Amino acid sequence: MTTTAAPLLEVTGVTMRFGGLTAVNDVSLTVGEGEIIGLIGPNGAGKTTFFNCLTGLYVPTEGTVRYRDVQLPPKPHLVTQAGIARTFQNIRLFANMTVLENVLVGRHTRTKEGIFSAILRGPGYHRAEAESRAKAMELLEFTGLADKAEHLARNLPYGEQRKLEIARALASDPGLLLLDEPTAGMNPQETRAAEELVFAIRDKGISILVIEHDMRFIFNLCDRTAVLVQGQKIVEGDRETVQNDERVITAYLGAPLEEAAPAAEGTTPAAPEDTK
Amino acid sequence: MHDLPQQLANGLILGALYGLVAIGYTMVYGIVQLINFAHGEIVMVGGFGALTAYLALPGGTTLWLALPLMLIAGVLVSTLTAVAAERFAYRPLRNAPRLAPLITAIGLSIFLQQLVFSFYPDAKKARVFPKIPGDPFSLGSVTIQRSDLFLIIAAPLCMLALGWFVTRTRSGRAMQATSQDPDTAKLMGIDTDRIIVMAFAIGAAFAAVAAVAYGLRSGQVDFRMGFILGLKAFTAAVLGGIGNIYGAMLGGLALGLAEALATGYIQHLPGMHLFGGGAWKDVWAFVLLILVLLVRPQGLLGERVADRA
Repeated sequence: MTTTAAPLLEVTGVTMRFGGLTAVNDVSLTVGEGEIIGLIGPNGAGKTTFFNCLTGLYVPTEGTVRYRDVQLPPKPHLVTQAGIARTFQNIRLFANMTVLENVLVGRHTRTKEGIFSAILRGPGYHRAEAESRAKAMELLEFTGLADKAEHLARNLPYGEQRKLEIARALASDPGLLLLDEPTAGMNPQETRAAEELVFAIRDKGISILVIEHDMRFIFNLCDRTAVLVQGQKIVEGDRETVQNDERVITAYLGAPLEEAAPAAEGTTPAAPEDTK
Repeated sequence: MHDLPQQLANGLILGALYGLVAIGYTMVYGIVQLINFAHGEIVMVGGFGALTAYLALPGGTTLWLALPLMLIAGVLVSTLTAVAAERFAYRPLRNAPRLAPLITAIGLSIFLQQLVFSFYPDAKKARVFPKIPGDPFSLGSVTIQRSDLFLIIAAPLCMLALGWFVTRTRSGRAMQATSQDPDTAKLMGIDTDRIIVMAFAIGAAFAAVAAVAYGLRSGQVDFRMGFILGLKAFTAAVLGGIGNIYGAMLGGLALGLAEALATGYIQHLPGMHLFGGGAWKDVWAFVLLILVLLVRPQGLLGERVADRA
């Protein structure tokens, strides 16, 4: 290897099999410092499974995941400690804790407190607790949730729950943030606001890998986009490369009828009606 | 009804004891959804740990000096037993079907009973536990045994400390997060294995406090004491809403009051003279449980939870 510096995240040949099903097949991907990378693909393409492989929820059947040139241990809490944070496709907040407490939990790995120093309530405890709270409030300001700090997470409206997930993920001071469909279910204005937020996060020096279905969102944001179809990465590149790639068009829209028709005629005459 | 204040006091004191033990059931259930049926025996070994410390002290030691040492010994024995149980009996079954750890817990309970029965000197019958000497003291019409002072002081202190720990500290918040969603908690950087050990340890420490209180009250400990105490405490935990720490204490107090009032008054009700007195108190305790669960299946403070997806 003669490259200058190793990329922030380097995924090499990751394969994930569940019994006979290969959910992710030999996917390689790199994310550089300060990059925003998109990951798109039809439903069931294996995008979330791929995320789970990165964050230690699944141990890939084959392949390696290296972060800052160190192979990641297959334990979620150690991956977070290493500096990768994520949000979820289906919101997974701690519903019965307050907004502030959710962010404080996100800060878990960046604070130290033994059970004994907590019981004794020494000066170390007070300092650490105050620092954590200040940092958490800062993140709530950043995401625009500061005035709701004491609300229970489950009482927030949907869009703000998504923001809170991002604030909670940022609390662990990540170098790489994985966003799993951050704009799912959002209206166009909210989506634009989410774009702004993602840019603001990148400007903090955090790289981002994002799964999305909203193509405009992806192409506005991402330096590069990878397309996953049936577990395989079929193409990766900038907007033009991805949009003009025939395999991508086929995966999303199906094969054009002119091409499909003659092939179908050769087999069974009834096929064209079925291929809808 | 002239002795109502006395009955209420008796009920609250007994209830606080149930509540302390119930904390152990509820914390472990809240984190790993395991009903740790060996928890009664964790109480029992704590009692024997405290007794051992007492016997090891020189003869004339006053109880005020001995009590803290007994407490430390009890907490140590209970906690180590519980942590070892988690490590060697429950953790290997973490991903097994729910019934497997449940059966293990029952097995562990019998194992611990027999261990003490067979190897602790003279444990074949009840061993004498020291009492706080001195006459009972009176507050108006209420008489309180000196030995119960320990529980009256310890139970509220323990609850305050636990409430503060869970809501105000990093580890406590991690514990709440783990009980709400363990997978997400892991992804927030929480070592959930450590949190599980912590839940067992805290429950065991409370069990040891309860064991010392039980020993002081009844003047004895024996290898079977954990069974009925554990069963009552489990009832209290369910009554209060299992998984909720305040519910456990509330359930304990409710159960204690119900027992005291049933013992004192049921026989005075018309046609019920056969069903009063101490012999029937367990029956009324479980009747209360059934009634509460009919109206509120999730318990007094429990939340209705949909099945985890």
